[in-house]
Amino acid sequence: MIYQPPAGARDFLPLEVVQKRWLEQRLQQTFASWSYQQIITPTLERLDTLMAGEAIKPETVIQLRDAEEGLLGLRPELTASIARAAVTRMAGAIYPQRLYYNANIFRRSPTASSQQEFFQAGVELLGSHGLMADAEILLLLRDCLTHLNLHQWQVILGEAGLTTSLLSVFPDPIREQVRRAIAQLDRVGLLALPLTPELRQRASLLMDLRGQPAQVLARVAKLDLEPDQQLRVQHLQELTDLLADKLPLHLDLSLLQTFDYYTGIVFEVIATTKTEVRVVGQGGRYDSLLALYHPQQQIIPGIGFSLNLEDLHQVALLKGHLPHRPPASNWLVVPQQAQAIAACFAYAQTLRSESPEVDAIRVEIALEPRSPAETRDYARQRQIPYIAWIGSNGTPKIEAVDLAQDIAAC
Amino acid sequence: MLTVALPKGALLKESIRRLQAIGLDFSLFLDASNRLLQIVEPTGTAQALLVRAQDVPVYVEYGQAQLGIVGYDVLREKHSQVAQLADLQFGTCRLSVAVKQTSPYRSALELPPHCRIASKFVHCAKDYFNQLNLPVEIVPLSGSVELGPLTGMSEAIVDLVSTGRTLKENGLVELEVLFESTARLVAHPLSYRLNLDQMSAWIDRLQQQSDLTASTAAPLKMPVGN
Repeated sequence: MIYQPPAGARDFLPLEVVQKRWLEQRLQQTFASWSYQQIITPTLERLDTLMAGEAIKPETVIQLRDAEEGLLGLRPELTASIARAAVTRMAGAIYPQRLYYNANIFRRSPTASSQQEFFQAGVELLGSHGLMADAEILLLLRDCLTHLNLHQWQVILGEAGLTTSLLSVFPDPIREQVRRAIAQLDRVGLLALPLTPELRQRASLLMDLRGQPAQVLARVAKLDLEPDQQLRVQHLQELTDLLADKLPLHLDLSLLQTFDYYTGIVFEVIATTKTEVRVVGQGGRYDSLLALYHPQQQIIPGIGFSLNLEDLHQVALLKGHLPHRPPASNWLVVPQQAQAIAACFAYAQTLRSESPEVDAIRVEIALEPRSPAETRDYARQRQIPYIAWIGSNGTPKIEAVDLAQDIAAC
Repeated sequence: MLTVALPKGALLKESIRRLQAIGLDFSLFLDASNRLLQIVEPTGTAQALLVRAQDVPVYVEYGQAQLGIVGYDVLREKHSQVAQLADLQFGTCRLSVAVKQTSPYRSALELPPHCRIASKFVHCAKDYFNQLNLPVEIVPLSGSVELGPLTGMSEAIVDLVSTGRTLKENGLVELEVLFESTARLVAHPLSYRLNLDQMSAWIDRLQQQSDLTASTAAPLKMPVGN
């Protein structure tokens, strides 16, 4: 039989790993340069923890049953885990906490063949609200994308708290349907709902609140707003003014999930290539989430984003930014006789120890007996620039390999 | 460039007419000698893909077409993640349960549990009988569904009915209507949010046109818009 990974899982071969690391390292360096610190939380969580924020449907979690712990799930995202860890394990911490992660997540998909394991890198900024925290997150996001050499990207910015509040004019049983229709951009469904002409007009207006920030906010300002809504509009105004020439922002107040834990700004990062438009990241403010995990229900604001590494990988591949091959060895050390084996290992070690960092110089030893011509062919195929021939007396003879000669063949 | 996915079959002619009326001419698709599946409109502002009706929401969901025209029946069956922007008010039909005229059953609820239902609309049929709490076996077919009850393979069918003539001529009678369907204008959600290729201007014109059709409630005779 042929052994295969389960449907929805995958292997990363060396070249893919090199490319994935290239993305991850740039992101982690960027996170670190904004003073974010890495946190690692468990892959397995109790199902209760994952579901507490009410943003995760149980059927999308890959579940396990443990005799003592009860129902467990493979994390479908990191925010719940980090919220739990922050308020229970980091009690007495000084806020704000700036945390980042780089981890795999799991999502059960309705069709067994589609992907179930994903990788995400992201940040959570805990304990801070207001204009500067929101701006920091969006500017950090910009910095990440810039360091990945991604040029064609845009941010769709919404405000879940404001939109939810604007939906409060709809009477209770029908409000959820209005919300769902707006979230799914289902105009036909929205107009078919039994609404008074006034409410229908309001619903239709809410669905169209998107475009240039200034224009959208001008349209919102014409509505009869309550004091809290006015504050939220003012906040959006200040935020979009502050970021105006820094990020390509589309304000879209119809940007909602059918259910989630976001309470303030929400956003999606969209990358455009020749053949497609895809979401490569998402995030938002969640000011009520941490209280759910806090032993005394203390309210701690939070905001964060996650970047989808597979999507970024695809986009970066299309743009040709990623390494094309795993790094080649710098040296091939070849024992010419059986007596030279000890000297061969010793010389290879000397070469490695000259490296300024552990992996900056890659030295491989020729393990198979080959003729000198075969050895040179091997070096060319593997793109190894130098061969050190070790004679029986232990002295190395160094030869530069003509890599250009056979490059088409490999 | 703006890309529109158009459905082969019953909706094609009117879809092309609606687009022509707002200044996008894809009438080459109606030319019997045409074999091209992808054509650019003469003014070069948009292109169209000619695909099977079931595939329209697929091209739109993945964003290879920003806009598409397709029946609501297909959207319901495929649960496509696309934005439904307008009811274009043509291609009216309904998805119905039908049985042989000689069948003793006169409503869907009377059908015997675990009986066979033949359909092209497997998901819609499953959802409907689930709602009725009636366990049935759905037999997927890809055409000539009427033969199901006639040959005795199934007790009933779930299929699209427009005039009812096919049912009648094959000796079937309609028991229940699952839902009514018309042609819908659909869009790729992200492209729509970002207004790529100034698509909202075209959408507005198609919406105005169909609102007009709805208010006059008569078949569209003259090109409207521009």
